[in-house]
Formats: sequence, C-alpha cells, structure tokens
Amino acid sequence: MAIVTAQDVSRVFPMPAGPVTALRDVSMTIAAGEYVAITGPSGCGKSTLLHLLGGVDTPTAGAVTFEGRDLVSMSEADRGRLRLTRIGFVFQRFFLLPMLTAAENVELPQAEAGVAAAPRRDRTRELLAYVGLSDRADHLPSQLSGGEMQRAAIARALANRPALVLADEPTGELDESTSDHIADLFDRVNADGTALLVVTHNPALAARATRRLAMSSGRFIG
Amino acid sequence: MTALNLAWRTVRRYRAQTLLAITGVAVIGALLFDMLLLSRGLLVSFADLLDRAGYDIRIVSGGGMTLRLPIPRSAEIARAVAALPEVDRVVSLRMMTAALHVNGQPRAANVTLVGVSDVGAGLWTIVRGADLPDRANDASCPLVVGPQLAETFGLSPGSDVLVNAEESGVASALPPVTCRVVGIGQFAFAVPGNDDVATTLAAFHRSSGEAMSGDADLILVASRDTAGPARAAAAIQRLRPGASVYSNEDVVEQFNRSGFAYFRQISIVLSALTMVFAFLLVATLLTVSVNQRLGEIAALRAIGIGRRRIAAMLMWESALLVGVGGLLALPLGEALALGLDHILRQMPGLPEQLHFFVFERRALVIHLGLLIATAFAAAAYPMWLTARMPIAATLRREVVD
Repeated sequence: MAIVTAQDVSRVFPMPAGPVTALRDVSMTIAAGEYVAITGPSGCGKSTLLHLLGGVDTPTAGAVTFEGRDLVSMSEADRGRLRLTRIGFVFQRFFLLPMLTAAENVELPQAEAGVAAAPRRDRTRELLAYVGLSDRADHLPSQLSGGEMQRAAIARALANRPALVLADEPTGELDESTSDHIADLFDRVNADGTALLVVTHNPALAARATRRLAMSSGRFIG
Repeated sequence: MTALNLAWRTVRRYRAQTLLAITGVAVIGALLFDMLLLSRGLLVSFADLLDRAGYDIRIVSGGGMTLRLPIPRSAEIARAVAALPEVDRVVSLRMMTAALHVNGQPRAANVTLVGVSDVGAGLWTIVRGADLPDRANDASCPLVVGPQLAETFGLSPGSDVLVNAEESGVASALPPVTCRVVGIGQFAFAVPGNDDVATTLAAFHRSSGEAMSGDADLILVASRDTAGPARAAAAIQRLRPGASVYSNEDVVEQFNRSGFAYFRQISIVLSALTMVFAFLLVATLLTVSVNQRLGEIAALRAIGIGRRRIAAMLMWESALLVGVGGLLALPLGEALALGLDHILRQMPGLPEQLHFFVFERRALVIHLGLLIATAFAAAAYPMWLTARMPIAATLRREVVD
C-alpha cells in the first residue's frame, strides 16, 4: 500500500537572476514499510523532493498524495497536523530545541498532538531506551555528542508513531563510526515497520536501503 | 510543555539578551511610570491640599478665583450660608501683605496676614502655644505664626510684635498695631519663603485700618456629608444668585484646564515616546532572537508544531521581558519620582504640601495596561515572521549557511 505518491511534480524557485527549476516532472511512490534512499550531487533536487513528500513545501506542478489525501490542496494547518501525526523528520543539523532536555524534545510533538502526560512520559522513556539514550534523558542538547543528538532527533521523529520517516542528510554532520550507528538505528526503525526515505551523500547509508534512487538536475537517473 | 514553559526556558537560555531587555524595559518603564505620576500628580496634590483644610466650597468676589477683592457684606453672606441645611460650617478670610516688626530686629518681616472669622478653622495646626482665642476682645491682636518665621525672628508664644498691614507695593501711613504671638502653627497652604501670620478677622481689620464691616475676600464653606459640595454650592447660588461659588472640584477643574495642562501635555508626549522606545527595544531584541533561531523554528513547524504554539511562545517571551522589566520599573520609577519631586518643589511660590509626582492606583493600572499593550505590539512582528516563514526554504538556507 502506498504511503506517499508524487505524480509528475516540478518545483521552480523564483530567483532574482531568473527562475531555478529544482525538480522536473518527478514521480515516485513509497510503500508502507519500504526503505528508500535517494542519492545525488548537491543541488540535484533531493531535499526539495523530500520537502514535497513531507508536506513542508508544495510543488509548482504535479500532485502529492499522502495516504490518499492530496497534500497540495490541503490547508497549512491540516498539513501541519498530518506532519505531526503521520510523518517524522530527521534533519542534518538535528534542530533539537536547545533549552529542552532530550526527553522534553521527544515529549514536545506528543504534547502538541494532545497525548496525556502519563502516556507521553512512558512513550518518551520507551523511545529513549530504543535509541540508547536512557541515561541521557535529562541532558540538554549542548551536553550531548553529535551522534547522541541525532539519536534524540530520531526518537523525536518516532514520537507520534509515524507511517513515514523522512531523513535529510542524517549523517551529514557525523563521523563514519557514528554514522554507522545511526544507519543501524534506521535499519531497526524500518525493521519495526516504519517506512523510511533517506536523502544522503553517504554511500554506506544509502546501501542499507531496499530501494536506491539517484538524482541529477531535478530528475531520477537510476 | 506549555508555550509559557517554552518561553521561560528560552529567556533563561539567552541570558545576556534577556538581561539587556529587562534592564532597558525597567529604565524606560520607570520613566513611563513617572510621566503617568506627573500627568495628574500636581492636580491630585492640589485637590488634596484644597480638601485638607476640610472645606469644599469657596465663595469669592466677582473678580474670580485669582483676583482677590473684598466680598461686599461678606459677614451677612457667611451667616446666611451657615444657616443653610446643606452647610456644616463657614469661615471668612481676609488676606493682605503686612510688615511685621520685632523688637531688636534690624528689619521687618514681610508676611501674609490672614484674618479669620472662626478659630479652629482647620487652616493651620498648632505645634506650640495656643490657638487664637475663641472670642478675642476688641483691643487684643492675637497672632499665630509659622515655625520658620518664629525661628528666624526668635518668636515664641508671648512675644509682642508690631504689625503694619498694607496692600502689596503700597506704602501705608497707618500706625502699626501691637500684636501678641499666642501660638506657632503649621499652615496648610504654607509656601516656602512666604511667611503666613493668622489673626482674628476683627484684629485684621483693625491693623489694616479697614472699616469694621467684617468684609472678607474669601468665604470657605464645608458642606454636610449628607448634602455634598454640589448640592451645597447650588443652595448657595440659589441664596445669592450673583455670588461666585466654586466647589473644590470646580477649582481643580479650572486649574486643570489652565495651569496644569502644560504638565499633562508634556507627560503625554513623554509617555508616548517612552512607549515607543520600549516597543522598539523589545521588538528589536525579539526579532534578533527569532532570526537567530530560524532553523529551530522552521524545524518545529516541519515536525508539526503549530503556528499558534510558536506565536504563543513568542508572545510569552515578550510578556516575560516586559513584565519583569515593568515590575522592576515600579520601585525604580518611585525612587526617581522622589528625586524629581524634590528638585521641582524647589521652584519658588509653591505650597510646601504640593507635590508633582503623586502615586495613584490609576497610574499603576495605566502603566500595566500600556506595558501589556507594548508586549503585544513588540511580539507582533516576530510572530508574523514565524507564521509566514517558508519552512522548506528556511531549512535549506540554514543548512547551506
């Protein structure tokens, strides 16, 4: 069953020097439980496609549907709600809130989704144990290493039991060994039933995916 | 994790920025608070001064409040007014400049001689000696003098002085009258550098050489609590249709329109300016803070944290900065007001009890109201910035940067 589908999507950015086409008539589908990696040079449109599939941006042309719902015609509030409950995001720069502890960062999307305090705390404990950060729950991001921050960010992405996790260069700021640990964690997340789309320059990480796509100049090339 | 909790954590995290904002708001808020105290302080103090003597209505001659002329048949008017059911008590006053000669002193003291028809009228408080006698015999001239005059000229109860009443600037050929100091009193309307001396109305007329008509240039009336000044003033007007009758409220209103309008205008202009400064300070710091956190905020929006929660967080950040600064502004403003009041009261010709800065609950409520409005206004632009933020473009820019 398809979770997200992009049909002939294009994305053109208006720039002072003239419009820049980041995506050209791209189509793709991610099925439930699938693990997809997209690779390609910088500026080839990988992140743009990830943003369109995740509903944080809308295409200039084409359609994106998530679990059968048209993301383009949806209001921003509805897209926000969908992102909160059905999609998890992992960023290259982690983007944890620096004034909250690891546990509080994981609790935040659950609180936004209206999860009551007790189940929220239980879920947070469970997730931090899942990513191996039980003993760092009360640490601020500034007290965590890069790998620990990314693990906390993955726990945050999984907080509301999403159907799809979108990871944009998740190992871009990490060394090789730490990247391998993050890749192992993604394997586990996918094995536990969550679909994954990873946009990466890291061949070792891309190799873990069950489907690998390469992009160049806003199109899939293989 | 409420928006307030997130805001609290944020202001604690960016300590230097928070300290700067709170200090700025405290200083600006202190000025705002002072301007609010100044806008009505003189008026409130003046009204308090008028009420302090316990009289709430004044009857003057046709010359109005400023030009003091004797009221024809004032004794008769005073008696008729005192008989009104709306009136509690009445006192007639006559004032004139006078020269006071003290034995052994090389020069005379220039004083304001006040003749009163009724002792214990509440216009002064005896601090030493006795009050004017209830019924002064015709030959006597009892005096109550101010403490400053008593100290300068070595006067005490029992001291004899010579009094020459004279219209201001007009030399008098009348022989001086011998008077005796019976008490030292603190005058309610005392003006620094201007000494008041009180005596009976009869003694006043004798020393000024005026006919014993009992004419006064001011009749003070205290209304009964059950009637109030408005009803009592109306009753007096009915009794004497041509009389110039003013309640204390009328006097305050008249001064509000003329003399005090200047202070009010200055304070309104300065209040508006301080509000603008507070707004600019907090809005700038919040905008800078939001710009520093664009990546974080875009990521929050991406993971589904609603615009409303982010806007509420920024609103609370603004409220915390302005709120804490605004609270600190109160003691700071009060201290500043004390200092400024002391400086302004050095101006010549002002009654001792008159203040420029007077604390009122009204000023406090307006101060808090204006600060709340400032907090909202200052948060508006950063809130708009985050609400309109293009999430994908911001995330891309953050990574590229």
